[in-house]
Amino acid sequence: MDAFSMGLIAAMGALATVAGASEDIESDIGSQSNPNSQVQLAAQVGNPHRIYNKAISGEPPANALWAATAAIVAYTLITAFQMSALLALVAGASVAALFNGVLSMSAYFGRNSSQKRFNQWVYLDIIRYTTPSIMAHAWITSFCIATISYIMVYMLPTPHPFPMAVIALIWGLAVGAIGSSVGDIHYGGEREFQNRQFGCGLNTMLSGQIVRKAEAGLRNSIDNAWFCTKFGGPATGMGFGLTVFLDNWRTTVFDPVTQAPYAIAMGLFFIIVMVVYNNYIEKSARRKYGPYPEYKGDIAA
Amino acid sequence: MSLGGAAGGAPSAFDPKKLRMYGLVGSIVGIYLGAILNSALNTNVFSFIGAVAAIFAVVMGANAVRRVCAYGIGTGVPSIGMLALGMGIIAVMFGLSMAETLGSILVGPIIILVYAGVFGYIIGVIANKVIKFNIPVMEEGNADLSMAGAMAILGWSFAISGTLGYVDILNNVLMSGYIAIIFIAGGLAILHPFNANLGPDEQQDRTLVNAIMVSGMAMIATGIGAIATQGLASGLLQLVIGFAIWFYFFKMYYRLVKRDAAAVVGTGLLPPTVQ
Amino acid sequence: MNFDINTIVYILEIIVGGLLVGIGVHFVPVGGAPAAMAQAAGIGTGTVQLAAGSGLTGLLAAGLMMSVTDNLWLILASGAVGAGIMMGSTMLTGSWIYAYAVGAPFASAKVNYDPITGFSQPPYVAPGTVGQGIPTVCFTSGLIGGMMGGLGGAMIYYPLYLINGNAALSAMFAIGIFLVNAVIASWNIQGTIEGFHDPKFKKWPFAFKACLIASVLLALASVLITGGA
Repeated sequence: MDAFSMGLIAAMGALATVAGASEDIESDIGSQSNPNSQVQLAAQVGNPHRIYNKAISGEPPANALWAATAAIVAYTLITAFQMSALLALVAGASVAALFNGVLSMSAYFGRNSSQKRFNQWVYLDIIRYTTPSIMAHAWITSFCIATISYIMVYMLPTPHPFPMAVIALIWGLAVGAIGSSVGDIHYGGEREFQNRQFGCGLNTMLSGQIVRKAEAGLRNSIDNAWFCTKFGGPATGMGFGLTVFLDNWRTTVFDPVTQAPYAIAMGLFFIIVMVVYNNYIEKSARRKYGPYPEYKGDIAA
Repeated sequence: MSLGGAAGGAPSAFDPKKLRMYGLVGSIVGIYLGAILNSALNTNVFSFIGAVAAIFAVVMGANAVRRVCAYGIGTGVPSIGMLALGMGIIAVMFGLSMAETLGSILVGPIIILVYAGVFGYIIGVIANKVIKFNIPVMEEGNADLSMAGAMAILGWSFAISGTLGYVDILNNVLMSGYIAIIFIAGGLAILHPFNANLGPDEQQDRTLVNAIMVSGMAMIATGIGAIATQGLASGLLQLVIGFAIWFYFFKMYYRLVKRDAAAVVGTGLLPPTVQ
Repeated sequence: MNFDINTIVYILEIIVGGLLVGIGVHFVPVGGAPAAMAQAAGIGTGTVQLAAGSGLTGLLAAGLMMSVTDNLWLILASGAVGAGIMMGSTMLTGSWIYAYAVGAPFASAKVNYDPITGFSQPPYVAPGTVGQGIPTVCFTSGLIGGMMGGLGGAMIYYPLYLINGNAALSAMFAIGIFLVNAVIASWNIQGTIEGFHDPKFKKWPFAFKACLIASVLLALASVLITGGA
């Protein structure tokens, strides 16, 4: 291990954190993935809305597409035109953002026009001012992930044997999986339903009753990004950053050729720490919030 | 492009059997045509035919997704698209490698199609018999999906490498990593159309036009790949044709949206509630 | 290629890898869309996606290890640990949101007492929901599932790489086999499961049979593929 590769690992961790955060915010602006089910349901239970409805296949495949696009464009520019890596990655991320814009728009059009009988309108102004914001976040995500893949293949002392685009594909799937498991809860569990008691999950009776009005006027998807940037996005970034950083840190600090068992033991140690930390969160939440007063059964809290 | 061109038809205007025939024949003929023209004229400008051929397969796959997912499989639409591509990639590499071993690269697509069809059908049987889904179109739908995934991957791989030779595809598509974009863009082209148009008022023609549009976008990506592997002329040709397909069908898609939506408005407050 | 005892071992390894993926999916506590609304316990995403995300992260770690050594155990352990780290950090950060943003205590509605910590569950289940958050039992189950997925991915990758010696080909192939098995398993659990304490977990023999058939077919095709040397 030398200082340079340690710096690269740190840069990868930082890029991954940014990628995770922007991924989550991108999906929140578009109401992608799981909270999308409630946006979809809202019109069906008689609440037409002005929220972006971007159902692109669930987050992991969608983000895998942006990341892989950025990676192949960058790879083409680097190998065929000898462009400098940074510019090539920027160009790649731009193409990925354009792809994102096309798919987002087609999903918004398609989902809303398939709800004709519930009188859900297609608003063109939402397309005009929300899509660029989604594309911008997709640009950040795909740039960061393509850069991580570039570093892993071309710069680290133990280069990864997979091609750059395949690594970008896998990290794209991973960031999408983390984004939909972590950040979406902040959007779905908190932001979509603010007309209910705090401190519990969504009561099934309230399904589809999403908040449609803002402090002034109607709520739009940019408002949702404003809210989710405060906690959901950074937490997602933390999740993906930890994944990338811890995974690569242990194989850089411990040389995989001679010290592989240490690298694996270190990984196991991280996993055990996570179990303990989660258990601590569970205990502290139970202690501080206490049981629900509505509970009438006979099992002691 | 006669498939998606017939806009304005009844909800299920296109019979799945007919679509399957068009899809299989179109993609196989297209890939062979491209391969033979390329090798006979010793050029690679005809690679774009492979990319266009893949679109036929994608339309067939999108229709299969539409049929299977209409039953509700409990895991969302994306999983089935991933399954299609997972089955497809194995069929493609198996078929190409076998063809290379047998000494005739032109039997490759046939082996791929047969393996993909049989494997997809077996997965469908497993889903119905072992996991007890009891969805009547599962076997058929999975065979369609598997063949569509395989043909899409093969068509676009050919578009990037310019030949059907196993070693060329291995070097130009696999080792360079372009397979990643083929894999995921193909998957999205198959699963996105139904997913994006999900809802009670979904229309078949709108869904299929969306499939062609996303395929056009995938063709832009393969064009970028072809620039690196086959040179500027062939790559740019593919890119431009992909862009033209995308543009034309995006316009058509927007027309269909205007036809189907409750209202397309520039801006406005919430619509009056119907109930 | 010549068919010898090694080929049979490779086929068996691929089949075992596929089965590990298929069974591992059953351990991952996914609540699907309801969990994203804190309406059900578990991770708020789809089964295939999460399994793929973690298992393929494991594949990355295994691929890196395979490029420097050919010791099977190190490669398998790398894959499992890589996937475990991804699954662990996902669930941990997810827990932050449940605890500090939604403000709900973790509880599962499938059992009365957490089998690992012994905490009582029903008093902490919010009215109108079927639990929320990631209790210790779900967390542990998720880690087991993620690590099995990573182990399976590495187990598929290892023989493939030995057969064709081409990292890119083996990686895409491993992704393909992984996805087929993960989708079949997720069909079996019909979208949501809470982990090994969930009654649905008892359905795993169906997935075992289904993944066995699929993996055999995939393995037979895989060992015939050459590296194109």
